[in-house]
Amino acid sequence: MKYSRRTKGAVALAGVAAFALLATGCSSGGSTASSTGSSTDPITLTVTTFGTMGYDDLYKQYEQLHPNITINATNIDTGDNAKTDWQTKEAAGAGLPDVQAVEEGWLSAVMQVSDQFNDLSQYGANDIKDRWVSWKLAQATDAKGRIIGYGSDIGPEGLCYNSKDFAAAGLPTDRDQVAALFGGDNATWDDYFKVGAQYKAATGKAFYDQSGFIWNAMVNQQAEGYYKKDGSLNVDGNATLQGLWNKLATATASGLSANQTAWDWGKGKAFTDGTFSTFVCPGWMLGVVKGQVTSAGGDATTGWDFANVFPGGAANWGGSFLTVPTQSKHPQEAADLAAFLTNAKSQAAAFGVAGTFPSVTAAQTDPAVTGTNDLSTFFNNAPIGTILGERAKGVVAQFKGPDDSVIQSQVFGPAIQEIDSGKADGPTSWNDAITLLNQLVVNK
Amino acid sequence: MTATLTPPQEQKPAAETPAQKPKVPFKYRLNRFDMKASPYLYIAPFFILFGLVGLFPLGYTFVVSLNKWNLLTGPGGFVGLANYGAELTDPFFWNSLFNTVSIFLLSAVPQLIIAVVIAAVLDQNIRGKTFWRMSVLIPYVVTPVAVTLIFSSAFDEKYGAINNLLQFFHLNPIMWKTETFPSHVAIATMVNWRWTGYNALILLAAMQAVPRDIYESAALDGAGAIRRFFSMTLPSIRPTMIFVIITATVGGLQIFTEPKLFNPTTATPGGPQRQYQTTVLYLWDLAFNRQNFGKASAVAWLLFLIIVLFGLLNFLISRRIASTEAKSSKRKTARILAQYNENKIS
Repeated sequence: MKYSRRTKGAVALAGVAAFALLATGCSSGGSTASSTGSSTDPITLTVTTFGTMGYDDLYKQYEQLHPNITINATNIDTGDNAKTDWQTKEAAGAGLPDVQAVEEGWLSAVMQVSDQFNDLSQYGANDIKDRWVSWKLAQATDAKGRIIGYGSDIGPEGLCYNSKDFAAAGLPTDRDQVAALFGGDNATWDDYFKVGAQYKAATGKAFYDQSGFIWNAMVNQQAEGYYKKDGSLNVDGNATLQGLWNKLATATASGLSANQTAWDWGKGKAFTDGTFSTFVCPGWMLGVVKGQVTSAGGDATTGWDFANVFPGGAANWGGSFLTVPTQSKHPQEAADLAAFLTNAKSQAAAFGVAGTFPSVTAAQTDPAVTGTNDLSTFFNNAPIGTILGERAKGVVAQFKGPDDSVIQSQVFGPAIQEIDSGKADGPTSWNDAITLLNQLVVNK
Repeated sequence: MTATLTPPQEQKPAAETPAQKPKVPFKYRLNRFDMKASPYLYIAPFFILFGLVGLFPLGYTFVVSLNKWNLLTGPGGFVGLANYGAELTDPFFWNSLFNTVSIFLLSAVPQLIIAVVIAAVLDQNIRGKTFWRMSVLIPYVVTPVAVTLIFSSAFDEKYGAINNLLQFFHLNPIMWKTETFPSHVAIATMVNWRWTGYNALILLAAMQAVPRDIYESAALDGAGAIRRFFSMTLPSIRPTMIFVIITATVGGLQIFTEPKLFNPTTATPGGPQRQYQTTVLYLWDLAFNRQNFGKASAVAWLLFLIIVLFGLLNFLISRRIASTEAKSSKRKTARILAQYNENKIS
């Protein structure tokens, strides 16, 4: 009898365990929503950012100003990984933070589900919407007129160059002379490739790290990129793009590309050993360049400088927004934090840390942006804030369609690798890209 | 056990006179229910858990695969098996399948052979047994992300240790990350490094269970170490071999982390021209880069079916190999016995 009593106990236990499993499995989804509106109760706000956004000190400031708020920040290494993270949580309907940073490149995906983000005009956006350059605010406004994000930085592009390598090639090293060398205000890609050929002839070395970023800049500076403003595709039969592509392919074939792995660059070594001497630099890229050079053991003496010139005219690459997903339980507090992180003072502070050029007009002329900071010291005391302000003139937001990032990475990515590794010439690789376009985007 | 549960006086009369069946006490019936049902309850937690995290997603994935389904905006209409049809005619799907099988063969075959050899060596009477056994497991303990980071640095085309070494000896550098075969070898190397020791330990456990005295008697009969290994060790560990082969198949066909992180900055996951885009990586790309959740689910189901097929095939082959071995030796024994008998008669 003793035996069977024990068995019964075990049966009961197994049953309880089984039901407990079922119960926990079912109850995890239904949590109670708390009240909206600012409160003085202690709350924790979660923030997800990516890359280098320079917010760490600002979080601390905000926590000091609001003793009831604790900020729990996550920073994801790259924008692509952050996009995957956001998409997974968005698709699952759970797990998004209170403040989610969104990159311009995936804004089109975000806009597909813009109703999953709080309309910030219900949380005070209308009082501050004059802060931003008008096109930045327009980008964050959805088709129904809801403001779903506060602009943080924008990405006006200038030219990074290595003055030591330029000196070795007999080219001018002074940043104003370098700007003039590339054609100053009327700089074209032809000028750029011509100087590249000169450099190559003098040193035998490559001029730019790989063709992908050049192509990206070429596309971004057009009035219409991969999509027309009406949302239709604008690649096949686009003579402008095809002409630029062939130009790039010819320059690359003549040895101007170092065929580097982008975002890796031999763990930064390619930035310090003279593998290439010019680099397209939106503001936020300055922080990346500094990081790469530093991680490969280089410093300010490695010779990187920043010139007020960009081939083909004004171009914008990237820039981010801070959004408040509807999953947030504290939308008011989250919106307040996002507003704080994107105000003029914060943006100026973030610029000093990460080179993220402000999208807020007041911050663009802030002494913290135009003056010297750690980053400008690294770039041979270049007035990076002033230069970026100059480079931002004439920048307009380009319409990005839903598959923009697919076209960039999967349609032109393989084609760029083909020309960089010498596997195909311009026309062949263009046709390969069109084949991929039809396969991946047109007939998806 | 039965004696304590069923009082003997109740048993016999019940069987002899079925007409007037005595009432079975509640306690007895409860006991009998307990005996019959409780084992199922004991194993229930696993099956409930499996239903929740295994069976339900499987079914849900199937439902998704029958629809046009955007990852973000959700279902967009029932399309039946169209996603399957589209995938079966998509060159990228077949490319991914080719890469998967290629990497699988490059990893599973050498891995299992080396694992058997290592296990056989560890099975010997060597000094510091535990040390050696633990040592082979170390690669398995290291997280795959760390392994991939280290190996992808070593295999770097311009700055990697391996190409530097090759160039030191005036050999041409190998394009580990942009050419198909070298990239498969590189990824298979990572898999092998991680899993060989793990499989070796499982095989070792099976070898330890083979009775030592049959080895002794075989040795006395003049069978050498190699003969003993092939004729005794291998057939004896057959079930474990099958288990190891099946798990290696399942793992090998689901490979994701290694190719994903091999060149993490490439625009297209799995190499610029999809040189090493495995099927799971392709599935991931479909879902998260191209937002085509429906097609991604169809690929998931196709992969599931392919793995089941491969598993069955491997099971049959590995069973056959082992049993032909046994059969042939049986035949040999019969022949020798017959000869012996003939000799005795004549």
